[in-house]
Amino acid sequence: MFHWLEKNPFAFAVVVIVTIAFAGLVEIVPHFAQQARPVIGTTPYTTLELAGRHVYIKNSCNACHSQLIRPFKSETDRYGHYSLSGEYAYDRPFLWGSKRTGPDLMRVGNYRTTDWHENHMKDPASVVPGSIMPAYTWMFTNEADIDTAYAEQVTVADFFGVPYNEPIPMKDGSTKIIKMGSDVAEARAMALAEAKLIAQDMKDQDVKDAVANGKIPEIVAIIAYMNGLH
Amino acid sequence: MNKLYLWGIIIAVAMLAATYYTLVITVGDSGKSLSEVMSGDIVNALAIAGAAALVIITTFVVIKYVRQMQDDTADGTLINESWDGIGEYLNDIPKGWAIMFILTLLWGMWYFTIGYPVNAYSQIGEYNEDVAAHNTKFEKEYASITGEKLVEMGESVFLAECKVCHGLTADGINGTAANLNKRIDTKSVKYVINNGSNYSLLGSEIPMPDRSGLFNSNTGALITDAEIDAVSAYVANGMTGAGADVFAGTCAVCHGEDGKGMEYVAPNIVAYTPSLVINVLNHGKQGVIGGMPAFNRLNDKQKEAVGAYITSLSK
Repeated sequence: MFHWLEKNPFAFAVVVIVTIAFAGLVEIVPHFAQQARPVIGTTPYTTLELAGRHVYIKNSCNACHSQLIRPFKSETDRYGHYSLSGEYAYDRPFLWGSKRTGPDLMRVGNYRTTDWHENHMKDPASVVPGSIMPAYTWMFTNEADIDTAYAEQVTVADFFGVPYNEPIPMKDGSTKIIKMGSDVAEARAMALAEAKLIAQDMKDQDVKDAVANGKIPEIVAIIAYMNGLH
Repeated sequence: MNKLYLWGIIIAVAMLAATYYTLVITVGDSGKSLSEVMSGDIVNALAIAGAAALVIITTFVVIKYVRQMQDDTADGTLINESWDGIGEYLNDIPKGWAIMFILTLLWGMWYFTIGYPVNAYSQIGEYNEDVAAHNTKFEKEYASITGEKLVEMGESVFLAECKVCHGLTADGINGTAANLNKRIDTKSVKYVINNGSNYSLLGSEIPMPDRSGLFNSNTGALITDAEIDAVSAYVANGMTGAGADVFAGTCAVCHGEDGKGMEYVAPNIVAYTPSLVINVLNHGKQGVIGGMPAFNRLNDKQKEAVGAYITSLSK
């Protein structure tokens, strides 16, 4: 019955390859796409948070801190719910890290506050006795790069369709809109407005003055990023 | 008798002899006699019997197939197809093979529909089992503890969750967090009087008004800066010193004459109470020092324990 197939080995090979490739496509791709979809409640980063993320990357925080909670009781007790792949949907690149010299930071926004981060970044050993983390004092004077953060927002919105200015479903059934400025001036203004809210909870007078004068020190951006990690 | 069998016997004997010879050498090296080794452990005897059986079976099975190749003639109807001149008989497939084939099919169906989905390993499944086992153990060992044990548990939770901000000795690390060895300090009292307070700390929504809603009934006017300073120092010093009259006139209505608070109205401002600590853990707090997030990942018993521990600190 299938004699003709065996008489055309080349065509037969092509048909086999096409069949298997198609099966792979319909089996693997949809599953993969589904897994990579943002989890309900995952929101894209605001301009200030993204600037803070750049500070995080620039200072190689991910060399000592992971952002991946494994499904073990000991980890979920300490850090919160284990990580889901969809929670990294807006992370480009994701910052899983490879080793924990310091603790995991995946959900640090749930259990640390602005003033704690401020004290900690200035002198880690003062709030965590025995901590070997170095102080990051230059973050209090260096200015955060809002323009680059905005450029990244525009890029990911255009290229990957990251839903800025669109309602995003949250866990409690409501929706939330993460706004993105329509031009760089608006983005700077929005970042500054967000920075002012954070500076309210801070003690460092230089940082407060800088924010009042329209500047955004790196420490404000990275605290915004930390507070946004849920 | 076929020559092959003769050769088979010769080869088998030769191989058995070789086995025996190797054995004697090995045992000789170990300094024991062969009978000692054989009687000492049944495994040795079994291994040697197995080796002998292998030699004999292999030899005669090989002979059987060689003979079959020499003698066998095939017959039956050839099927119509021909593959480069190689034909195939139209014989039935062997029964044993057919049964195995059908069993394999059945197993395959079972495996795809039930075997794999039901028994598959899941990392999250293992995690859930682990959590359930821990919770059961926790219920069994700790759900009903009280007193000293509860304080001990509170201390261990404190050291894991709270010491990062409040410090190992709960002293607040130079004012970066609240000092829990003391109910309240002057700065905090002032802040609350000036700004009011509503953090659902008593499970009720009744807020404390800010200074524009706090009347001193002794003077009949709003509380003044001087009075705030006086009463703050009075409360922070454990209800001693000047300011008692301001307290009686302004604060006592809700917080009670002795400052111990009233249920659902105002918290105890003389000493920590477990319920107050539990409410802070449930709702978080925003005060003069900064913010504290809610700690809802602690379970109810752990919150109770932390409450007991904090209360015990300032006793």
